[in-house]
Amino acid sequence: MSTAERALRADARIRIRELGKHYGPLEVFRDVNLEVGDREIVSIVGPSGCGKTTLLRCIDGLIPASSGTIEIEGEKVTSPLPGIAMVFQHFGLFPWKTVFANIAYGLKLAGVPKAEIDARVPRFIKLVGLNGFEHAYPYQLSGGMQQRCGLARALAIEPRVLLMDEPFAAVDAQTREILQFELLRIWQLRPTSMVFVTHSIEEAVLMGHRVVVLKGRPAGVFETIAVDLPHPRTRATLSYPRFSALREHVWTTLMDEARAAELLLQR
Amino acid sequence: MLTRASRWSRWAISLLALALGALLWQAVASRTNPAFLSSFTATAARIAELAANGVLTDALRSSLAVYLTGLSAAIVIGVTIGLVLARVRLLRVALESYIMLLYATPMVALIPFIMSMMGFGFAPKALVVFLFAFFSVLYNTIEGARSLKPEMLEVAYSFRSGEWGVWRDVLVPYTLPFALTGIRQGIGRGLVGLVAGEFFLSGSGIGLLIMQSERDFDVPALYGSIVVIAVLGAALMGVGRMLENRFAAWRGLAR
Repeated sequence: MSTAERALRADARIRIRELGKHYGPLEVFRDVNLEVGDREIVSIVGPSGCGKTTLLRCIDGLIPASSGTIEIEGEKVTSPLPGIAMVFQHFGLFPWKTVFANIAYGLKLAGVPKAEIDARVPRFIKLVGLNGFEHAYPYQLSGGMQQRCGLARALAIEPRVLLMDEPFAAVDAQTREILQFELLRIWQLRPTSMVFVTHSIEEAVLMGHRVVVLKGRPAGVFETIAVDLPHPRTRATLSYPRFSALREHVWTTLMDEARAAELLLQR
Repeated sequence: MLTRASRWSRWAISLLALALGALLWQAVASRTNPAFLSSFTATAARIAELAANGVLTDALRSSLAVYLTGLSAAIVIGVTIGLVLARVRLLRVALESYIMLLYATPMVALIPFIMSMMGFGFAPKALVVFLFAFFSVLYNTIEGARSLKPEMLEVAYSFRSGEWGVWRDVLVPYTLPFALTGIRQGIGRGLVGLVAGEFFLSGSGIGLLIMQSERDFDVPALYGSIVVIAVLGAALMGVGRMLENRFAAWRGLAR
């Protein structure tokens, strides 16, 4: 990484320096440096097992890093900090709580008074388009609707950092596309600092202002690609030649390794 | 959801089957020596009589006091210890084999021991009920709580939940339906314990009524007290089932 890139960004909300993580002798990633602006979406892509989800959990304070530091607005992350919300691949809804109670969960833990919770939750139900499902249980919802609920739960605490852990990997292709544009629309309304982990290259380019490619064993930041596509991004973005060019670029960066691995297998 | 019509037909079929059973009982009894088998009508009449003169109600009151004491202790202690053991690995692993051993032990075998330790009276009988019911509650609670997916805990920690919050929002509501399955089993087992205790420790309540009726060759009273305790057991199981359905609504119709 060049010195210019290492220089502190004035707007950085998340600062990750020389971060490393190992489980015993297994080194997952090392020397990860990354800054995320206060109104920036950074996508992280990488092959399975490269530790992108682990990195996200380190940022959330769920698992401790082995070396290096993470700071959020200058505060060192050693355990989950307030105002950070994660959207999980497995949705992570509590099946015994209704949609309303699930969305209220983060607010309740943050100590928001009940009257305010009752006022705030319906706004987020509306924002993600779950009107009429307030009293439904998760098992009564489709996968896409469950993740809308997971998204609303995260957004409801009005997070300064939104961590997305392959949020749309478990829903069908059409729903996934709908949710991607929904999320972009919502982000336009309430821009915040977002780290978006995905294994879909297309999704990484569509969502991110920058795409970080994690690669290698142990993994590190192999390349950071600035996505110079205009905002707001819509379905039309997908047909821009620049979108295809960027997608190809990320694909080539990632696939070099996959191809090498395949060749190794063939031998 | 069951529709109203299908719920009505369920009730109708159940009642019809019960009525047929009573008829069959009556028919068989009319061809059998009344010294062995009391007829349905004679049994029902004797139940009414014993209820009216207070013998049955006194017996029931005394039995229920023993039963409810033992059962509620089993529920409270079983669920609490079950949740703690599910959260504290060291304790769980250390106690696992004891729990399995005691769960598998026919508790009747312990009655002589309890008698020599505690003698006769209320407490040893309540203890017998407790022991009969406790391990079902404990075992089901532990197994239920342990089946909680780690993802759920991760969500809680991500939203900065402390241990108390984990119990209140995650562990207890998740485990409740499993614990209720154990409680429902415990209701049945506890009833066995009650009658066993009333037989083998000091005679009292329904157990004593059964033994006395037998001694006095009062066959209708013998059948009557058995019917009463069977109905009591069924009613309590029904309550258990109702609670289970109430607190397991979130599990959906699939399960």
